[in-house]
Amino acid sequence: MTVNAAALTKSEQMPPAFDVERVRADFPILEENIHGNPLVFLDSAASAQKPRAVLDAMRYLYEHEYANVHRGIYYLSEVATNRFEAARTTVARFLNAKHDHEVIFTRNATEAINLVAASWGRAFLQPGDEIIVSEMEHHANIVPWQMLRDEKGLVLKVAPISDEGVLRMDSFEALLGPRTRLVAMTHMSNVLGTVTPARDIVARAHAVGAKVLLDGTQAATHNVIDVQDIGCDFYAITGHKLYGPTGIGALWAREEILDAMPPYMGGGEMIDKVTFEKSTFAPLPNKFEAGTPAIAEAIGFAAAIDYINDHGMAAIAAHEQDVLTYANQRLATVEGLRIIGTAPGKASVISMVADFAHAYDIAMVIDREGVAVRTGNHCAQPLMARLGVDSTVRASLGMYNRRQDIDALVKSLEKVRRIFG
Amino acid sequence: MGQFDPDMMAHIKFNEFVENLRDLDDETRFEYILDLAKKHRDDPFPETDMLAKHEMHGCQAKVWIIHSRKEGRNYFRGHSNAAIVNGLVTMMTDSFSGWADEDIADLTIDHVRQLNLGSLTIQRQVGMMAMLKYMKKLSLDKVA
Repeated sequence: MTVNAAALTKSEQMPPAFDVERVRADFPILEENIHGNPLVFLDSAASAQKPRAVLDAMRYLYEHEYANVHRGIYYLSEVATNRFEAARTTVARFLNAKHDHEVIFTRNATEAINLVAASWGRAFLQPGDEIIVSEMEHHANIVPWQMLRDEKGLVLKVAPISDEGVLRMDSFEALLGPRTRLVAMTHMSNVLGTVTPARDIVARAHAVGAKVLLDGTQAATHNVIDVQDIGCDFYAITGHKLYGPTGIGALWAREEILDAMPPYMGGGEMIDKVTFEKSTFAPLPNKFEAGTPAIAEAIGFAAAIDYINDHGMAAIAAHEQDVLTYANQRLATVEGLRIIGTAPGKASVISMVADFAHAYDIAMVIDREGVAVRTGNHCAQPLMARLGVDSTVRASLGMYNRRQDIDALVKSLEKVRRIFG
Repeated sequence: MGQFDPDMMAHIKFNEFVENLRDLDDETRFEYILDLAKKHRDDPFPETDMLAKHEMHGCQAKVWIIHSRKEGRNYFRGHSNAAIVNGLVTMMTDSFSGWADEDIADLTIDHVRQLNLGSLTIQRQVGMMAMLKYMKKLSLDKVA
């Protein structure tokens, strides 16, 4: 993972001592009891809980500052527009984008990837061109490329991983060639926790003239991201995994690439002039933001990033690594449990299978203890096939998790073993 | 002495489940389902029957349901690789085995609701409905 110190905000350069109890107090939902037990929320990789700062920011907007953005010649519209564009600036700084207008608001990372496929892919890829993905992609970074492959006559290649979940760089390099036009790769696996070597991937892909899209859905929640330092061409993130609301995400791409890309959707907001004969399009970023955007959600997204910055991403990552290390130690004591994904430097996702119970049984029983985990294929069926499992239990960490949560998880897993073992 | 009613006899098992689950509180109901899971965990279901053609898709766990007909009535047996799901599959296959075609065709979400699994997750409710639809389809396919 790359860190550009110059890109860090003041709070990131001097993070306060990380106080998980203080953080937890900011998340109202963590006070809930589930089936009579305190909530132990271990599903942040699916969607993170929201701090009060996000809820307050959205509520304040609706109560005091709400109007549609752009072009309204009245006070509220100007305030809302300023807030909305300030949110874009916040996201741009979060990614260390060179320009604010390189950030396109989308509904989520899935839409960001689809935007690239539908716009850049359709405009610039030719039959026979090749796209490389990895074995550990989320469906959102497979299916759009399959659809484009079938539409344009492209070739989709798959870079393999090791049994530990490490991307095989030699095999990846062997797939690169003169027809490789795009490498679409996760920056962090949502199943294995593997963090991929982004700079190395970019260097090798650029050496053959290919562009690189990184699916940063998971990586951005656990690490400082600097798109300029990584050197990639596209970076996709989503707000709801970053403690922000659902319905908002972002695509970052370099200015010259976005400028060359045709619009993704047509409608209001994205045009310059419209006649029945012809339309001309607005400059970046509006060219890719047809229709009324998710205004409150963008402002909530920015509030979430501010909240992260207040604590410092580096401090959050260090805290999560501590809990992850503790989890690995404690889970190793559960007889019959196996952790899937043991790549060096992995981040806060722990996938497990047990010889004493199916993942579904585990989740059902531990839910009664108040422990929330995810089961299934995690939108990564090809990876499940590669790993030879049909389902895993996935515990994933957020900034509010603490060692006690792991103790509760282990205790509940022992209960499952007593029932079914 | 009452007359033998084959339909009433066939519906006994379903009615028994309805009766057993009717007044249970949330925790006791879950215990009941866990007991069902443990009781049926080792029920024989040959690997040779775990074929793709018998697999019901859409569940997180694998579910196989096999249908047969005898004297104009439908019989089901099933299995899942997840114990709790296996218990629920057994509940469904036992409940509706022996039912006549027209009764199977009349199965609705109300039958699942009568089983009073309400406190279980929506996923489970959806799964039970999917199972019901699948069993209806198997029955109809055989009729056709």
